[in-house]
Amino acid sequence: MQYGAGANDPVPVADPLLSDASLVTAARGGDMRAFERLYRTHSGKVMGLCLRMTRRRDVAEDCVQQTFIRAWRNLQAFEGRSAFGTWLHRIAVNEVLSHGRNHGTRSESNDDAIENALAEPGESSKEHDAGEVMDVERALATLPEGARHVVVLQAVYGYSHEECAEMLGIAVGTCKAQLHRGRRLLRERMGLEAEADDE
Amino acid sequence: MSDQRHKDDPLSQMLASLPREVPPERDLWQGIQAEITKTPIVTDAAPVVHFASTRWFQIAAGLLLVLATSFTTFVVTRQSMEKDAAMQMAQQQQQQQQQVPMAAPPLNAMPASFGPEALGADYMKARSDLNQRFQERVKTLPPSTRAKLERNLADLRHAADEISKTLSENPSDPLLQDLLMSTYQRELQLLADVSEMPLSNPVRTDL
Repeated sequence: MQYGAGANDPVPVADPLLSDASLVTAARGGDMRAFERLYRTHSGKVMGLCLRMTRRRDVAEDCVQQTFIRAWRNLQAFEGRSAFGTWLHRIAVNEVLSHGRNHGTRSESNDDAIENALAEPGESSKEHDAGEVMDVERALATLPEGARHVVVLQAVYGYSHEECAEMLGIAVGTCKAQLHRGRRLLRERMGLEAEADDE
Repeated sequence: MSDQRHKDDPLSQMLASLPREVPPERDLWQGIQAEITKTPIVTDAAPVVHFASTRWFQIAAGLLLVLATSFTTFVVTRQSMEKDAAMQMAQQQQQQQQQVPMAAPPLNAMPASFGPEALGADYMKARSDLNQRFQERVKTLPPSTRAKLERNLADLRHAADEISKTLSENPSDPLLQDLLMSTYQRELQLLADVSEMPLSNPVRTDL
């Protein structure tokens, strides 16, 4: 699986001197063009995050749209302590989780569910043929939801255990367990050698 | 397993090398823009006060503008109507001076009472004389013409009464003042036309 470039390639910010901070300041004053610049700059990354978390392009696009709408409504709440992109990602993760709750997506936010899933491969294992070697993107898409969310946030987007746990609303320990589980499943499905800790 | 070991292993490297940006296939900005244009940015406490005071100022300024516009429109309209009425009165006076022994007083002399008697004794005497001559002349006319003229006269007088009553409730209304004067003038004109009509001339009944 490969998520290629879409018809709507991100438009680079024309003036590099216009930082996110200055664009946010302008957008806070009601400048919609500044906010559009922010959208053009960050929509690709937000889309990538949402798409890998939801696995459905239409759902991911809805989440991206809602993320930017929510960001606009709450621009005053952005204090600038983190990067604007990180703040957007937090909103996007909330949107994905809300969508999952509202549409009955399975939630694995408690430790019991994780342990059960670790003991048994889970329903996601039925989504691929045993023995098939997958590319990393496709293998990622077959992971159970909880493990996939953690692997995407940590391994692809580089967030720490603590950041990831805060975004997902789970304990740090749960986050570590999900990452461990996700990595083990990925190795299996990609035909990679298991690490010592995976056993 | 330490984070460093994760970073060094092939799986981590593959995951980290995945493209972080995946552009949406359709332009989502149109939908976002449509939504945010109808949604104001949520402001924190301090700007809310500022926004509220700005809003009150805008409302007050708008109200002031409406009042000023209404007042200006009223003044201009009234001046225009008074001017038109005065010109009309002057023309009517010239005509009536040739036909009747008096003329209606100027509009700005409109008294507190709005019946025809309020226009002065001269007016009442001239009206009475014309009315008497009208009655005499109308008797000589065919019944259908006579009925039509009397009905027209009655309509004009009824209209003058109605306008006069309404004007007593709104004495400063320039439109009613003008309408009342116009009605009195039409009554006089009808009386004069019929009174001075030659026996062989056709009679206007559309007044």
